[in-house]
Amino acid sequence: MYFQTKDVQQYQQNKEFIDTAIVPLLSLDFSEDNIVKSSSEAEFLMALTAFVEQQFRGRLMLLPPYSYTEQTKREELVLALKQNIQEGGFKHVVFITCDHYWTKLQDELDVIWLPAIPIESMDKDVKKRILEEQLKQLIPILSSKWYQR
Amino acid sequence: MSNKKVSRRQFLNYTLTGVGGFMAASILMPMIRFAIDPALQAKAEGDFILTSQKIDELTDVPVRVDFSYEQVDAWYKSEVSEMAWVYKEGDKIIALSPVCKHLGCTVNWEGGEHKNEYFCACHAGRYEKNGKNIAGTPPTGPLDQYEVSEKDGYLMLGKKIPNTLA
Repeated sequence: MYFQTKDVQQYQQNKEFIDTAIVPLLSLDFSEDNIVKSSSEAEFLMALTAFVEQQFRGRLMLLPPYSYTEQTKREELVLALKQNIQEGGFKHVVFITCDHYWTKLQDELDVIWLPAIPIESMDKDVKKRILEEQLKQLIPILSSKWYQR
Repeated sequence: MSNKKVSRRQFLNYTLTGVGGFMAASILMPMIRFAIDPALQAKAEGDFILTSQKIDELTDVPVRVDFSYEQVDAWYKSEVSEMAWVYKEGDKIIALSPVCKHLGCTVNWEGGEHKNEYFCACHAGRYEKNGKNIAGTPPTGPLDQYEVSEKDGYLMLGKKIPNTLA
């Protein structure tokens, strides 16, 4: 499910099935040297999370990315966000990011860190294969959360 | 040619009728075209999408066939990738949509070690090979089917239709 009216209405009727929220944690960098790299990371993260959504749309809701710059990066805000989402009824809140920084919060947050792959220059079949490979790494992490009770 | 003279009145009558007719036609034509527009739309190959799957490579075991098409959503053009599970039953080609009838996840053939079934990892929904949902699992109906066609030995997929097998 996406965070869109139609999907959210469906979510409300199937709350017992859709118990996982996915939040992309997206780092933005506008400096001359890094802006291209930053956009490439964003492209990868958005493509990957959309692919996860397509595969598991009946179990999870993909939220809009939480974006921050070096100056607006605040652990306490992300922790608060997680809490608010949980209060809203999602049992699992999973953060997906290409920013290694968040892995140090492993104890408090479910963070999946993946190195960004520059997919922008790839043709569509290669891109698809790469995303599938990445997804294969995510599946065991998600199902281990879903099947531990 | 007759030598009868055409009077000024007659001449004006003829020319006005002629010109008036043209004007009426130029107003009415677009209106009529507009009214019957759907009938004039050319049907491009019946909306079938060519895939890279060779027909003679299909067996009775479902294989994954990816295909994509362009979708225009207001000003936003996007490439939509879809896939189908395709197998042969005798001479008939069956193409099933992988979209789970429960909440829309993607189902996998023999996923999660369920032999000879489609499996949905989200809530353990299961389907038989022909798409029939297995009672006692969350899905409420059978998997949709795609219309199939063939071009130069390659598989073409068309519209999604309700399952006709289960």
